[in-house]
Amino acid sequence: MATLADVLDPTGRSSARATDATLAPRPPDLSGLRIGLLENTKHNAALLLEELAGRLEREHGAVAVLRRTKTAFALPMPDELREEFLAECDVVLVGVGDCGSCSASAVADGIAFERCGVPAAVICSDAFTVTASSMAAVQGAPDYAFLTTAHPVAVLGPEAVAERAEQLLPGVLATVTDQAGHGRSA
Amino acid sequence: MSAQTDLPTADPDAARAAMEHCYEQGWSDGLPLVPATRPLVDEFLATVDRRPDEVIGALEHLDRSVTVEVAAINAAMAGCRPEYFPVVLAAWEAVQRDRSAKGGGWQSTSGPSPLLVVNGPVRTELGFNSTGGVFGPGFRPNMTIARSIGLIVRNALGVVPHGFEQATQGLPGRWQVCIAENEEESPWEPLSVEGGVPAGTSAVSAMLTRTVEYVDNRHTADPEQLLADFADTLSRTGALIFRNAPAGIVFCPEHAQMLAGAGMSKADVRAWLVERCGRSKADLARVGKDGVGDNGVRFAEGTPSDAVDPLFAADGPEVLPIAVAGARNAGISMVVRVFAGWSASSVPVEGRTTPSAPSPSDPAQRSAS
Repeated sequence: MATLADVLDPTGRSSARATDATLAPRPPDLSGLRIGLLENTKHNAALLLEELAGRLEREHGAVAVLRRTKTAFALPMPDELREEFLAECDVVLVGVGDCGSCSASAVADGIAFERCGVPAAVICSDAFTVTASSMAAVQGAPDYAFLTTAHPVAVLGPEAVAERAEQLLPGVLATVTDQAGHGRSA
Repeated sequence: MSAQTDLPTADPDAARAAMEHCYEQGWSDGLPLVPATRPLVDEFLATVDRRPDEVIGALEHLDRSVTVEVAAINAAMAGCRPEYFPVVLAAWEAVQRDRSAKGGGWQSTSGPSPLLVVNGPVRTELGFNSTGGVFGPGFRPNMTIARSIGLIVRNALGVVPHGFEQATQGLPGRWQVCIAENEEESPWEPLSVEGGVPAGTSAVSAMLTRTVEYVDNRHTADPEQLLADFADTLSRTGALIFRNAPAGIVFCPEHAQMLAGAGMSKADVRAWLVERCGRSKADLARVGKDGVGDNGVRFAEGTPSDAVDPLFAADGPEVLPIAVAGARNAGISMVVRVFAGWSASSVPVEGRTTPSAPSPSDPAQRSAS
């Protein structure tokens, strides 16, 4: 007679993926470093990254050298796009994870950059932390730290976006450098 | 009941324990599941000439995939009879042909749900509802085949509500809408013919949708007045996100026959609507959607005018699929909010057994797995 152990599993999963919490080495500061911006077409995403990049240039000596749009925002970036960033940038800002699929894929992109040796700051709306964290687990880096900003982002005016950038700046610095940002209020 | 030898497993308390077990594993969509055992799943696999380990879908970015066998397990759990399985596989393939299903569609805040449309003799062979209450419950193949798709997405692809599934509100009837077209009372060719499958061949068409909304018009015998009523619902601003939007119509027989009686083919109906659906820049400005960015997304530009933005980006069935279903008892049809468009590619139902035949009794004939 069949038992409950004989009920077949409908997930098709075989084994959990090995974890790999590799992060890229962090520079002590951003002076003279090349910044890349990977925006995902979500409204205000490009503007928020630009506002952040402007502050990193003016206040921290970085240079924004590469700006790219991920048109298939629901999916992790294509290999060619990743290679382009790796070739030209020392640090990458990724965002804004502001939908069900793009928040998860932004985290996947951040983890991919880290594993290739480039520090990344991934910014998601705080309405999508569960799906973003779920993607980190899928990628084998369940504790991967991404930055959040209050939902919603898409409906903000330009001044409010600049304000968000100001709020995010310490967290971005703390994320992509080895020391800056610590002890500052976010 | 069939005369199975293992009648002790029909113990209702054991059945309840098995259902609870499935809940505890996190496999359920909220309703009870049928526990899928090896013999039951083998009956499903025996209905098709497919390798059980054939991969029939994947979300690579989530590191998940689905095989024929896993689909069979989910179909069994959904409550399908084994002979429905060829339709499940056709439905799944039809869903896969919707480009959004392979992107992030299942993870979307819009929470889209497939609309499945079944054509051909399999409708009567398996007992699909194509008439009264066609969008609602009451018929096993309609309900369980639609549910199978949802369970596959949940279990095999790992897109679970509040996890990777981020639907803001979702929609009523998610994973529940599988209609059979009422070919007997439709004046037009089946949807599957527009999807490239010859008439008379059983086939499934699918598209992701955001909801359906009725057009109740029992008020006019003028076909243009009737179509204008549809155009109004089709053109509502709330459904607009991008420059254009696809939509579908499931006409009731009465509306379809009135239009056909006026000499209109399905293509004529579509052309009439494509020409007239849309909103003025003034209307769009009033709701903050008059501008269109480089990425195709609408925004509040604030430049109202009398110029009209057409609803449809093209004029074919991929942007405005039309089918006929329901009872012939009233002029009530349904506008379908199509998520990304129809592939205009229907999938033939291919089974090893005659669908209406009893499930295979000889285990030796079953697929070796």
